[in-house]
Amino acid sequence: MTPAALVPAMPHLLAGDPAPSWAELATATRTVGDRLRAAGVDTVLLLSTQWFTVLGHQVQCDARLRGRRTDENWYRYDYGHLDHDLAIDTDLAHRWADEIDAAGMQARRTLYEGFPVDTGTIVATKLLDPHGHGRRETERSGARPFEYALVSCNLYAEPSAMAAVAAAGVRAARDLGRTLGVVAVSGLSSGLTGRWITPAEDRVSDAHDRWNRKVLDAIRAGDRDEVLAMSPQYAAAAQADSQFRAFAFLDGAGVVDGPGEVLAYGPVWGTGAAVVWWGSDSD
Amino acid sequence: MARVFQVPAGSSRSGARRAAGTPAAPAPAPAPRPGEQKAGIVAGYLAPHPPHLVYAENPPQNEPRSTGGWEVLRWGYEELRRRLRAHRPDVLVVHAPHWITMVGHHVNCVPNPRGISVEPIFPHLFRYHYDFRTDVDLAEAIVEEGERAGLVTSALREDGVRVDYATIGALHLANPDWDLPVVSLSANNNPYYYSDASLAEMETLGVATRRAIERTGRRAVLLGSNSLSHLHWDTEPELPEDMSAERPFNHAQYAGDMELLQTIREGPTSRLKDAVPKHIEATASETKAGSLTWLLAAMGWPDVAGDVLAYGTVIATGNAVVEWVP
Repeated sequence: MTPAALVPAMPHLLAGDPAPSWAELATATRTVGDRLRAAGVDTVLLLSTQWFTVLGHQVQCDARLRGRRTDENWYRYDYGHLDHDLAIDTDLAHRWADEIDAAGMQARRTLYEGFPVDTGTIVATKLLDPHGHGRRETERSGARPFEYALVSCNLYAEPSAMAAVAAAGVRAARDLGRTLGVVAVSGLSSGLTGRWITPAEDRVSDAHDRWNRKVLDAIRAGDRDEVLAMSPQYAAAAQADSQFRAFAFLDGAGVVDGPGEVLAYGPVWGTGAAVVWWGSDSD
Repeated sequence: MARVFQVPAGSSRSGARRAAGTPAAPAPAPAPRPGEQKAGIVAGYLAPHPPHLVYAENPPQNEPRSTGGWEVLRWGYEELRRRLRAHRPDVLVVHAPHWITMVGHHVNCVPNPRGISVEPIFPHLFRYHYDFRTDVDLAEAIVEEGERAGLVTSALREDGVRVDYATIGALHLANPDWDLPVVSLSANNNPYYYSDASLAEMETLGVATRRAIERTGRRAVLLGSNSLSHLHWDTEPELPEDMSAERPFNHAQYAGDMELLQTIREGPTSRLKDAVPKHIEATASETKAGSLTWLLAAMGWPDVAGDVLAYGTVIATGNAVVEWVP
């Protein structure tokens, strides 16, 4: 089974003085990274809902994404300043784009100097591979980070289209013989607190909390059909992040047929966030 | 068949040619004579920001090259620029929906924002090298007035935040010489959670903006940078400026835009307090981000008609260039 995870998108997980839930979510995301390494993953196929687009499906084709992102909302905090250095599996990226086109959708190959990597991607990758170890090692450095294949989240695409995009990525990875991990970077409920708060004040509203737990219970039970069936209602009632396209993406990759292990759940600035793992915990 | 639409521009000459019963749009405001300039908001514009318009203009600051396209909207901006000059503002204040701030209303207080803005959705169209001056005193005053009015606000004083394409696009199209100082306001909404701006808060922000402008003695032109109907294609042609692919998303979207524009042309602006939410409901209008409501609230919902300088679609969204002179 291809190992997979759902991880949060908010930068608070990198706070120097985190709320307890932020720290738990960060630790759980690091655990996902450990498990992906143990599973021998070469490349992480990653969707971030914070790279939201509206035209076609953008696939990142730049071999290396280095820079500093100053977040347009969170710049006044330490976690609003995000250095990053990501290695992209460009062979897989191009093959993935070809597969998207072949499936009758529009792939958009993205290779532009200065392209702004989204906060969700940076946060997730910094936690999944905090020391840049990854699995594969080179003789010279003794360490090499995960490589990534990144695709955007088209806010206008139907969930079925996001599933087809994921399936195309899995096909492309299989053709190239990659050992793959799949990660969706997304929050759960919204209900973002619309004021500046201290970490100790952070909480999810009761109504949104009930919805998040209902969805996570179905995930724990491995009831994929139930999660997909309740997603539209969940999106409406709890303003789920990007209408919970993240789960549709994971489903398209074929990685959520079994029970998911909820490693952490809690609030991030009023939104709901969870780390869920699919695969063996010995991976 | 041409798929780009234009509502007749409202010069006095074109107004006279219209059929009886068609509201006459106001003539461009006469330029103030020396010594007659007074402080305050001297004009407001609905100034849409699709990156396609900047791309089509081929300015030296933008890396991609085009063969043109979307001419009618760009001609509308030509007229906007002529009128804007006549108003002799000493600052442009812009509210745009793609500096997305989840918490509060932010004001850019960085004295000299500069860098390259590669647009993550349209990187093939918009990679713009920007370098402009902020009217820091006015920017700080808007933050203060917003806080005083009970809004959650933030002053951006840190270099490094990429200026978004909507802010740059509206400012470039209104003043490509960039020879006027600027104040840029964020949009307090959250598209990946599908939440809209609170129009009531935009009203408050508009009033706070006006107070700050009056307090600092500025002569300001405001740019509210929203598109209108906002359903659009999710793919694009091989040649982005292929105008054979450009048309409204459907008739209902077009009709919704025409109904709003008719209300704008008839005036007074107070009718838009009801018309804008109705238009949002009917067309998923980008005015849900609040820029138009902010603009008109800042102007005190003046008892005038708006002058529609152009209308056209961009990847099927409706876009209008409109002037209001209080």
